[in-house]
Amino acid sequence: MTALLALTVANIKSYVRDRAALFWTLAFPLIFIFMFGFIFQGGGGGGLQIGWVDEDGSSASTQLRAAFAAIETNELTDLPEDQAVEQMRDGDLDTVIVVPAGYGAAIEASTAAIASGAPPPGPTSVVVYTDPSRQSLTAAVFQSVGAVLGVVNLGGRPPLIVPEAATIQTENLNFISYFVPSMLALSVMQVGIFAAIPLVADREKLILKRLAATPLRRWQLVGSNVLMRLLIALAQSIIIVAVGVAFFGVQITGPWALTVVFVVLGAVAFLALGYVIASFAKTEDAANGMTSVVQFPMMFLSGTFFPIEQMPDVLQTVARLIPLTYLADALRQVMVGGAAFAPLWVCAAVLLGWLVVCFGIAAVKFRWQ
Amino acid sequence: MTGGTTVGPAIAVRGLTKRYGDVQAVAGIDFEVAPGEIFGLLGPNGAGKTTTVEILEGLRAPDGGEAMVLGHDAARDADALKPRIGVSLQTASMYPKLTVTELIDLFRSFYPRSRPTADLIEALGLGERKDARSADLSGGQRQRLAVALALVNDPELVFLDEPTTGLDPAARRSLWDLVRGLKADGRTVLLTTHYMEEAEVLCDRLAIMDHGRILEMGTVDELIAKRFQERAVRFDRLAGLAPEELAALPAVTSVKEDGDEVLLFTRDVGPTIGALLALADGRGLEPKGLAIRRATLEDVFLDLTGRALRD
Repeated sequence: MTALLALTVANIKSYVRDRAALFWTLAFPLIFIFMFGFIFQGGGGGGLQIGWVDEDGSSASTQLRAAFAAIETNELTDLPEDQAVEQMRDGDLDTVIVVPAGYGAAIEASTAAIASGAPPPGPTSVVVYTDPSRQSLTAAVFQSVGAVLGVVNLGGRPPLIVPEAATIQTENLNFISYFVPSMLALSVMQVGIFAAIPLVADREKLILKRLAATPLRRWQLVGSNVLMRLLIALAQSIIIVAVGVAFFGVQITGPWALTVVFVVLGAVAFLALGYVIASFAKTEDAANGMTSVVQFPMMFLSGTFFPIEQMPDVLQTVARLIPLTYLADALRQVMVGGAAFAPLWVCAAVLLGWLVVCFGIAAVKFRWQ
Repeated sequence: MTGGTTVGPAIAVRGLTKRYGDVQAVAGIDFEVAPGEIFGLLGPNGAGKTTTVEILEGLRAPDGGEAMVLGHDAARDADALKPRIGVSLQTASMYPKLTVTELIDLFRSFYPRSRPTADLIEALGLGERKDARSADLSGGQRQRLAVALALVNDPELVFLDEPTTGLDPAARRSLWDLVRGLKADGRTVLLTTHYMEEAEVLCDRLAIMDHGRILEMGTVDELIAKRFQERAVRFDRLAGLAPEELAALPAVTSVKEDGDEVLLFTRDVGPTIGALLALADGRGLEPKGLAIRRATLEDVFLDLTGRALRD
């Protein structure tokens, strides 16, 4: 037990001191998340693209539009409500503001009531559509709305106009929420199969042989490797999820325990695949090449970057076979309630199947010296 | 050093064979190593030294024969053997990103009983480098670390495979001192080398190996005396002197030409040199680099195999 833990600690130290390994397993997925996150968050320049829906057509509603348009960073597009909502869902608009019919009349009535000293009939409302998962954008929208309504409301209190929040889920949310668990799956895969490279290097440098000349058991050697990779996979999961939540408002809905189960199952399955690679690669360079050969097709065919349904039939078949498809699918289902490509038990079964097959191959083919 | 008292030889090898595909790496060898002895396997690369050592360390299974190490069958009982031996492999690399101290601590965790890390660092002269990563060590320091790792479990028997290959002369000498220290501690040492000088200086007894066989075995003096009762007169080759003429000089038993060097083996140095100088003088020649020396292991190897042992 001491030997197992000592070797695990030694492995972790070696790993943390290896900048290349750190980059591929930690920085690489984060770079992807930030890159795609910012691309799909849209807006970019700080200005707000506002869909303006005027169902009232009164002078009061025109005044309100002018007040919004007076803020330089706002850009207003006049649209009917259904079109505006559609465009916002596609990510072309940041928010949609609807001035309901009867707005002008309500303002007039309120103003008249205040002027005559009678109690006002209560505020009228405008509808503001936002996507609550895009927290910073939502805040910007309400800041802008508040700035405008604050001026209008100064004339009388209690307020004349209140914003009525309406929420819709935009494609942006779907994409980044879909993307974060996918990236997590991808980095779990990397932690697993990249184990092949140091393993082959240690064999090449006769380190494995040197260890074999001590009372250390092989299960301790493999066990320490598994332990270390699992710890890295879990640390990585925490970092990736934290970034997704903190910067891109990804809402993790699923149970943590099930997420951990799939991360662990995935990490062990891909680690077994790493041992298979290490069984066939004679040199460190060969191991590098083989991990790339395994990694890149999986990355692109697992549905992370291109939807599986849109692939040619042949590639769809491949996508149905590779383990990353099922790990990513399972994590999307569990973490953000993504649409299922396969039921969770199928995902688990496929990963388990890969684990058993790879373990079997490695058990027969892996050479220690 | 503490631990088991081994009755009989530390190592006993009988009829050992090992084949890799078409190559007969070890072709039936027999030898014994006594407790407390430094025993050397001397031979060129590919002679079968490393294969032999790795069988004794329990790392490889022999095809045939028997390898008893500290009373254990190295092939069948490696688990009992490993805690009692120390091993330094031919390539002395270790996890490159771990420090000297970390590596020694790591290896200590593998053994039920171990020496304190500080003692090992002190004994191996690695104090100034104890926090250096193994990748940053010099060749000599790396070898000393490898020996430190071999001594972690306070072993009765230490295997050192080519411990000084690639080291500069100063580092080589410091490692020799270390190996002598192992013997002084009462440990048995089996080392392989292809350096004649190393074998002459360090080994109590040695076996000369080539092509998987042991050609000759004994102390350095025995090995030399067995073939060369005489001493050798050496000089740089002179174009005007034919080997037959040299062989006819008084007391000369044989003539060996090796590259630009000529060796006259003689029972009596004085008359041979006198006659050689007279003969050369008569032709207006002067032998250069003239020296008298005892035959060396190099000569023994040359005589055994017909070729020089060079690295």
